[in-house]
This record gives sequence, structure tokens and C-alpha cells, in this order.
Amino acid sequence: MAEPLLEARGIVKSFGRVQALRGASFTVNAGEVVALIGDNGAGKSTMVKTLSGVHAPDDGEILFEGRPVSIPSPVAARELGIETVYQDLALAPDLESSANLFLGREAVRPGLLGKLGFLDKAAMRRRTEEAFTTLGVGVQDPTAAVATLSGGQRQGVAVARAVTWAGKVVFMDEPTAALGVVQTRNVLDLIKRVRESGLAVVLISHNMPEVMEVSDRVEVLRLGERVARFTTADTSMEQLVGAMTGALRNDEAS
Amino acid sequence: MSARWQRLATGSTTWIILILAGLIVAFSVLEPSSFSTVNNARNLATNAAILLVVSVGMTFVIITAGIDLSVGSVLVFAGVVSAKAMNGMDGDGAGVILVGLVVALAAGLGWGVLNGLLITKARVPSLIVTLGTLGMALGLALIITNGVDIREVPPKLVTGIGVGRAFGEIPWLVLIAVGVAIFFGVLLHATRFGRHTYAIGSNEEAARRAGIAVDRHLIAVYGISGLLSGLAGFLSLARFATTTIGGHATDNLQAIAAVVLGGTSLFGGIGTVLGTVVGVFIPAVLENGFVITGVEAFWRDVAVGAVLIAAVYLDQLRRRTQYRD
Amino acid sequence: MRKWAAVLLLALAAGTVAACGDDDEGGGGGASDSGGSDYKMTLIAGVKGDEFYITMNCGAQEAAKKIGATLEFQGPDQFDAAQQTPIVDAVAAKSPDAILIAPTDTKALFAPITQAAQNSKIVLVDTTLDDPSMAVSQIASDNVGGGRTAGETLLDLIGGKGKVMVVNVKPGISTTDQRGQGFEEAVKGKPGVEYLGQEYSQDDPAKAAAIVTATLAKHPDLKGIFAANLFSAEGAASGLRQAGKEDQVKIVGFDAGPKQVEDLEAGIVQALIAQQPAEIGRLGVEQAAAALDGKETRPEIGTDFEVITKDNLAEKQDALYKPSC
Repeated sequence: MAEPLLEARGIVKSFGRVQALRGASFTVNAGEVVALIGDNGAGKSTMVKTLSGVHAPDDGEILFEGRPVSIPSPVAARELGIETVYQDLALAPDLESSANLFLGREAVRPGLLGKLGFLDKAAMRRRTEEAFTTLGVGVQDPTAAVATLSGGQRQGVAVARAVTWAGKVVFMDEPTAALGVVQTRNVLDLIKRVRESGLAVVLISHNMPEVMEVSDRVEVLRLGERVARFTTADTSMEQLVGAMTGALRNDEAS
Repeated sequence: MSARWQRLATGSTTWIILILAGLIVAFSVLEPSSFSTVNNARNLATNAAILLVVSVGMTFVIITAGIDLSVGSVLVFAGVVSAKAMNGMDGDGAGVILVGLVVALAAGLGWGVLNGLLITKARVPSLIVTLGTLGMALGLALIITNGVDIREVPPKLVTGIGVGRAFGEIPWLVLIAVGVAIFFGVLLHATRFGRHTYAIGSNEEAARRAGIAVDRHLIAVYGISGLLSGLAGFLSLARFATTTIGGHATDNLQAIAAVVLGGTSLFGGIGTVLGTVVGVFIPAVLENGFVITGVEAFWRDVAVGAVLIAAVYLDQLRRRTQYRD
Repeated sequence: MRKWAAVLLLALAAGTVAACGDDDEGGGGGASDSGGSDYKMTLIAGVKGDEFYITMNCGAQEAAKKIGATLEFQGPDQFDAAQQTPIVDAVAAKSPDAILIAPTDTKALFAPITQAAQNSKIVLVDTTLDDPSMAVSQIASDNVGGGRTAGETLLDLIGGKGKVMVVNVKPGISTTDQRGQGFEEAVKGKPGVEYLGQEYSQDDPAKAAAIVTATLAKHPDLKGIFAANLFSAEGAASGLRQAGKEDQVKIVGFDAGPKQVEDLEAGIVQALIAQQPAEIGRLGVEQAAAALDGKETRPEIGTDFEVITKDNLAEKQDALYKPSC
């Protein structure tokens, strides 16, 4: 079996006196959807932020395609091909969709103008519309400020951004938490489409039915450590909940 | 496409242009032979030019959800050191004046970068930092001059730029102010630098996570504000032939009012240079029009305050109805 | 829809306020008293809230009524060139027949007043310019003489010896510069008298008070202060009261505003050198009318001053400045 695409081993991370991760581990394989679940305070978001370069771990190691790497900043994560859809979406509400999609990676005009930093807004808008169409994101007016969009549309923009740029892995932190039924369905379909395109997806979710539906594997965090790993097809919601609450511990952990 | 035009029609910049147009029309109707003359328009523009230069810099700062209270003091300081430099040199030709300009710009830039460093590295809020530099810059200017205005300025500076006109018609001060507005307007609206400015004001954390060097960018933005305050100090020297130390205590508030009137949000993320230009002219037109029609000075302040509140109210209304939570 | 109404209402409101403004002076086309010259004049003060200029306006209004002219009163909020210039420009736009003005800076106001002179007769009242050639008349108190009298009066009060200082306004104002000059002439070189020099209050009573308390800290044996204008005198008296030194230090003040008269009665200020602002205003209107009638004008007119003490206060009531007409 091929080596894992991205692997975290024994990550320790504290914030002041609170130890969010106490030697936690996590594994993602290429082309799969793996769900990272755990109760509140288990350390899921911290793990995501560590692997996407927002936080620096106090201890532990990270391996990418088998080689040890360090991910000191969001840019470093991007260079490895890792993109993230944060729980708060990290969108600039006053800017339009294409501006958000290209945030930090703006397309510039060719030639001298480009060297001076002149934006190619038309190109960015065009590519945004293409991405939206491909991924089925329904935003009527691409030049409208993101703050005027509904929660589901904003989620779509954030996901489209991650997917458009991602080379290898997309992290999604609670993507359906604030959405209605129809919008949730759209996001889940979106996740499947992303996997079909060859990217790996890490899905953090509280929602067990969702997890059962889209993921290939499930890893469980509890109190800052990995306590269980499952193959979705071979498990049940009861087992997952049991692992989260600590009633069940699984030999395959760590 | 049509959604875009719709947004343009209801945008706050459009509104404020309409209000300015309404005022101009009203005063022209009341006093056609006094208000709507070329001379009066020229004087209006000249009197507004220096504040416009400062306000353009302030626009950038407020779009990043910051504030710069030090602009008036930096203006005075830059004028003082520039005058000292020019008086300390032999002769008073173009070379000396150029040195004066460079000194003023450098002084302004220095204060601006200091503001930026304190705000980003020391993590002190911009309101407090710029309040501090407001005091320091003015204090240093007073120390250097002993509290007495410097009233020796190369005459060519005054006759050339201060009161001089390009093509015999357009005052140089107005031309320079317009040039500044156009240059920085393009910077803000068409370049990566401008977009990053909006992004940081709209959601600083998102900008950081997107890989934007936020701290460096903010230092540059406050540097711009300082640089333009320095330029304004030089222009003020050219206009009044004296450093007018005591006359800039409320420049900061006037600039902030102009920027906010123009539709820039104090919460950051939204704003235009065009709006600021209009925002500078509304109080200027009000004052000019009221004096011409014989209204007492106190009504001017009431009117400007009322228009300011109305403009911000309209902006808030627009946000509430268009933005969803 | 609602928003269009708001814009229209705002423009209408501004226009209404502006239109109402004209009713203040003269009532437009009413029957005039004698001669019916129908001249339109404007008096631009150095600063609005100063009883000196208000009294000047009262005298000018009386004279205007006598010859059937209308006189408007304008002025900046602070004694500052940058604030007075837009007002001069706006008044000039109306092209009144004559403008009476007290320039706030001998250099900076030259350009705007020259421009105004193209269409209006100019009379310089109180202060003047380095180059007054565009004016038909300059009317002011003999400020050098006034300063000298102040010096002599102060020396009398302190028994001929001790430390004395001047709280002046800011350099570049012709009148106060001359008062300082006259005072210096009177006290320099007198045996036993130590002249500490001039400090500048920037026409701010608070600053004047701060200057006095600071000087007392350095020279606790200060004997006498000459305060060169109204705000400086007010502030200097406050400073003495704050320091509790009203008995030790004598003040001679220039100008006789209500606050200063109170201080005189309370014994904090020992003498006031009162100018004749109403007379200046009256003469200003007369000279302007003469120029408009094509008659000869007097290029320079000096008005008198009076020394007011607690003892002669009762007889000199007419010489006091009024807070309103």
C-alpha cells in the first residue's frame, strides 16, 4: 500500500495552559475522503490549523509523501498543495467572489503593467465563473460582495477557492454546520465531485449521517489524542459515537 | 451586468455625488453671479486642495479599518523641517525648493512608518498610536521653532506653486491635488496593493491566512498617509508662506469627515478615492455658499454635521438592506 | 424613492437656510436714511468671537446706517490665516462695493486680498499687510504708542523696578508686534528693570495661562506682565489666579472686554489700555464710502487709546468693548 499522502505524528500544541493536542496523530491518503471526528474540545480544529500552517506545533512531526516537512505558514501549506476551508470561511465579506477566490494569488495583467501589480479583473472573474459552473456553486452575480450572499453560497465560494487551488489535499472544517437541507446536499455532492477529481478531502464534522455517507475512512480524536480509526464501510454510527465519548477504544489507534 | 449597474446606482458614492450636485445647484440658483463663477470655483478648489491631499492618505488608512490622527501634526512638522532646510541653504532657486520637497516627504514618510511599526509590531491600536504621534510631531515642531512660525520661504515657491497657475488658468495646487488623487485612486482600485488594502480592512485574519504580508502592508499604508501629510505640509508652506503651526489642530477630523462623507466605512473594507474627493468638497461648498448667501458661521457647522450624519446613515441603511448575516 | 426625496430635501434645506441668511442686515430694499448710497459692504474680522471686533462692527453698523449702506459681518472661528482665506475668497465672489478687513497675517493674506481688490474697495482695519498698496485706507490704533504707554503704566505700578514680561499673540500680526515693540522701548535699559522678553499665546487664553504659571515657576519674583491683546490678558489673569499670585504681580492688559473689566474690578488686572474699535469701524465705513464716491481718502489713520483703571472706570464706560451691539 502506498505511503500516506499527509501524516501527522504525535503533535503537541498548547495555548497558554490549555493543551489542545497531546501527541495526536492523523493520516490522509491520496484520493480518499477521510473524516476527522471528535467531541467539542477534542482538538480537531487545532489539528487542521496545524496542518494548514496557521499554528506551529510545539512537538511532533509532519510527513508529506513520506518526507518530513515543516509547515510554518499558510503559504508553505499551499506550496505543498494543501488548501483549507476554515470553519469561519476566512472570506473578506466586502470583496466580491472572484476577489476572494484569488485572495493572495491575484492574477495580474501581462507585461509591464503586471509587474507594477495591475490586476486582471476580467480574467479572475472568468475563471471564477468557470470554477463555479464546474462545482455547481450557484452565485448569480459574481461581482456582488460576498456579504450579500447566503450562507450556502458563501460556503460554496470558500470551497470553490480551496478546490481551485488545491494540488493534493483539501481540509474542510464543519462545512455544513450552518446550512439548510438543500445546501447541505449540495456541499456533500461537491465533496464527492472533489474526490473524483483526484484530490484528498479531510472532512471535519459533527454530523454522523454525513460522515457515514461521504467518507471512506474515519479517524477519531478525543481529548487531544487519536483514539480510533475506522473504515466507513465496516463501521456503524454507534461505534463512532462510542469512540468519541471514550466508551470504545480501537487497537488501530496511534 | 444589470445587477452591477443597479449597485452602482444605489452605491454610496453615487449618493454623495448627487448631494454635492444638489448643493451646487441650490447655491447657483440663489447667487448665480457670485457663486457660479470661474474665479469662485478656482478659489474653492484651491482652498480644498491641501485637505484633499491629506484625505487621500486617510482613505487608505480607514479602508484598513484603522485611523490616523497624526496627519495635522505631521503636516506642520514636515513644513517646519522643510522651511528650515531651505532657509539653511544658499540661494532660493529650483534646487533649493526641490530639497525642501524631499525633506518634507521624508519627514512625513518617517512619521508614517513609525506609526505603522508601532501599530503592527507593538500591537498598539491605531487610535492610540496616532494620538501619541500627533502630540510628538507637533511638540517637536514647536521645539524646533520655539513656538514661532517660520515666515521665510523661498519666494519662487510661493509665486510658482503657491499662487501660480498652469496654462494661466488652473492653480498648481489644484493640479497637484488632482494628480495625487488620480495616482492613488488607480493604486487603490486597479492594483494588487489596493486589493490587499481592502482585504485587510474587510477581514484581516482571512488576509493573513491567504498569505498576504499584513504587517508589511499596514506599514506601507501608514507610510502613505504620512508621506501625503508631508506633501501637504510643503504645499501649505507654498500657499501661505508661513508654517501656520497653530492652524492644523482639526485637520485630522476634517480629513476623517471627508473620507467618511465620501462613503468609506470606518469598519474598513469599503471606500473610494472619488468619494473622498466629493467628501472634501461638500464642507468646502457649504462654507463658501453660506458666506456668499450671508448665513452665519455657526449654521455652517450645523449643516456639515447634519450632512455627515445623513451620509453615514444612508450607508448603514444600504448595508443593512443588502448585506445578509 | 425615499432616497431621492432625502437628497432633494437636503438640498432644499441648505438652500432655505442660505436664503434666510440675507435678511439679517439692512432688510434689502427698505427706505434708506440719508443720501441713499445703497453701498454693500462686508466687514471681515480677525476672529469672530472677540469683543474687540464685535464692538468694531457695532460702530461700523451705525455709520453704515447713517449713509444708507448695508454691512455684513463675517469672520473665522480662529485667528488663523488658513481659516480666514476661504472666507475672504467667498466674500470676494460676491463683489461687494467695499470690504473692511483685519488680516490675520501680514504675508499670507496678501494674495486673497489682492484678488478681492479687483472688484471691491479695500479698507484695512486694525491689522495690516506688509504691502498694503491695494487698500484705500489703513485704520488702526497707534499700537507702538499704546505699547509704550502700557510699559510706562506698568513701571509705575511696580515701583520702577523688577522683572517684567510680555504675553503676546504670535509674530506676524502687525498690531501686536507693534505693541510689543512699544513696550520694549519703554522698559529696556531702565535701571533695576529686568525685561524677560515676549512669549506667544497663539491667541489662546489657556496657553496664556500656562505661560504665566510656567514663568512664575522659573521666576518666582516676577513683578509685572503686559498682555498684548484680549485673549492674552484673559489668560494671563487666569494664570495668576491659578498660581495665587494676584497680589504680587501686576498686569497691564490691552483691550477692555467684559472679562477683562471684571478682572480690573476684582483687582487682578491693574490697568487696561483700551483701543477705540467702534471708532475704527466708523472710520472704516466712512473711508470706504469716500472711495466709492470718488473722493479722496486718508491712507493712514491712527486712533487713540485710553488708560482705564479701577479708579476711573465709572467715567470711562463708553470706552469698554461690548459683547453685542
